[in-house]
Amino acid sequence: MNLFRTALFLAKKDLYSELKTKQILTTQIIFAGLVIVVFSFAFDPANNTTRAVIPGVIWVIIVFAGILGLNRSFISEQRNDTMQGLLVAPMEAASIYLGKFLANFTMMLVVEIVSIPFLFLLFDFKFFGSLPYFLLVVFLGSFGFIAIGTFLAALAANSKSSEMLLPLLLFPITTPILIGVVQATKIILMNMEKISSAIAWIQLVTAYDLIFFVVCFLLIDYVLEV
Amino acid sequence: MSINLEREKAVLPGANSSEAKPNSIASILFGGTVVSMLVALYFIFIYAAEEKTMGAAQKIFYFHVSSAWLAFMAFFVTFVFSILFLIKRKRIFDTYAYVSAEIGIVFTIIVLTTGPIWAKSSWNTWWVWEPRLITTLILFFIYIAYIMIRQMDGVWDKKARLAAVFGIIGFADVPIVFFAIRWWQTKFHPIVFGNGPSQQGGGIDGSMLTALFVSLAAFTILYSYLLHKGVTFENMKLRVERYKEKLRADMEQ
Amino acid sequence: MGYEYMYGAYSVAWVVIFAYMLILGKRHTKLKKEIEFLKELDK
Repeated sequence: MNLFRTALFLAKKDLYSELKTKQILTTQIIFAGLVIVVFSFAFDPANNTTRAVIPGVIWVIIVFAGILGLNRSFISEQRNDTMQGLLVAPMEAASIYLGKFLANFTMMLVVEIVSIPFLFLLFDFKFFGSLPYFLLVVFLGSFGFIAIGTFLAALAANSKSSEMLLPLLLFPITTPILIGVVQATKIILMNMEKISSAIAWIQLVTAYDLIFFVVCFLLIDYVLEV
Repeated sequence: MSINLEREKAVLPGANSSEAKPNSIASILFGGTVVSMLVALYFIFIYAAEEKTMGAAQKIFYFHVSSAWLAFMAFFVTFVFSILFLIKRKRIFDTYAYVSAEIGIVFTIIVLTTGPIWAKSSWNTWWVWEPRLITTLILFFIYIAYIMIRQMDGVWDKKARLAAVFGIIGFADVPIVFFAIRWWQTKFHPIVFGNGPSQQGGGIDGSMLTALFVSLAAFTILYSYLLHKGVTFENMKLRVERYKEKLRADMEQ
Repeated sequence: MGYEYMYGAYSVAWVVIFAYMLILGKRHTKLKKEIEFLKELDK
């Protein structure tokens, strides 16, 4: 399908340029690392009760590091006014959204692969849960977060103070994902007996992902208008 | 800004005698608000029976629930006018959406302040993790974000378009937020206190129901009054802006 | 019982409503002043 091909093109372009400088990825990873260190000061890693906060901490670092990457995904297009180029090119606005989404999502996954083991290391967290479910939850949560995040980044990029506007827009809208995903992670990491509730939460997050991915697809034309 | 300046025969808003008509609507609505509020207060404090277990503090319920209902209605109006604006692109739709969102935020503030006061009186805690209260809090932040989009720098139609998109997404998000939180609540924090501040409990007394409907009506009239006032104000501001633009263009010649 | 809470809540609600109307009033007077100024220019 032409939509998907052009989107892949755009994603590849973004990822290649990122691979050259590695600027954003390193910033995200370092930031995630710093947040983890700060949390290790805030919550005593030696204390056993700190284990209860780990699921929340995982998602806090994902959200904060993610916002960094989301911001630049559309700001970088403002430098040489390449945004106009994209809009004039024979691709639909939906392709631009899809392409940016794929690039952001890939980078998010890379950041997660690096920072979550680092978190477990620093907090001496013994992984007792089930790995497949955990990976599924992380994947679905990041998917929804980046889907709505890319859309709102495109919206916020129109403002001069986009770095301040994006978190303001993003956090209220993503609360359902955050609630669902933290609860599911907690169950998966700590007590696997309640796995049915975790599955219910995963269903909620999946529903959210689907609904908002479609809604963003439909509304992106209005955001990226010339 | 119009290129054809002859067509933009700017008449200063103050000099226009057609002010008489909107003024009468405004005064009707204002009078209606005052009367209905007084009637509602009568119904709340005198007509409605006093609840046995919670005592006088239960009376907070009438204003709290009415505000909540109106806040949601205001945001629904924003949602509808956002869609209308994206389709028709008429400025008046955007004005209605914006003013309604602002009024909605005011009512949300009332809900978020009366809620904790009621919670403190009933369960001796300022905040309770109750689905409706949290959803209202998230709603509050969503519409603050909506206003922030409108405060952006730039041309009005871009701001209006982006705000309209966010108005649609924000409103679509609210039911999901509500269900997510309610689910979270019942699964992991079993509500010790049987009925939250927004639920009516077992059976509601007939007189209480009447009082609730009366206060709901009063709040609706208040909302209409504020909406009308806000929209006429924004329209006036627009005409002043256009007049200033015309002056500027005249000066540059 | 609980009368203080009731009075508190209702006063808060009315304060919010009146504060909003005050803000609206302030915007109105600002606009009125601007219109007066422009009328002066027009003369």
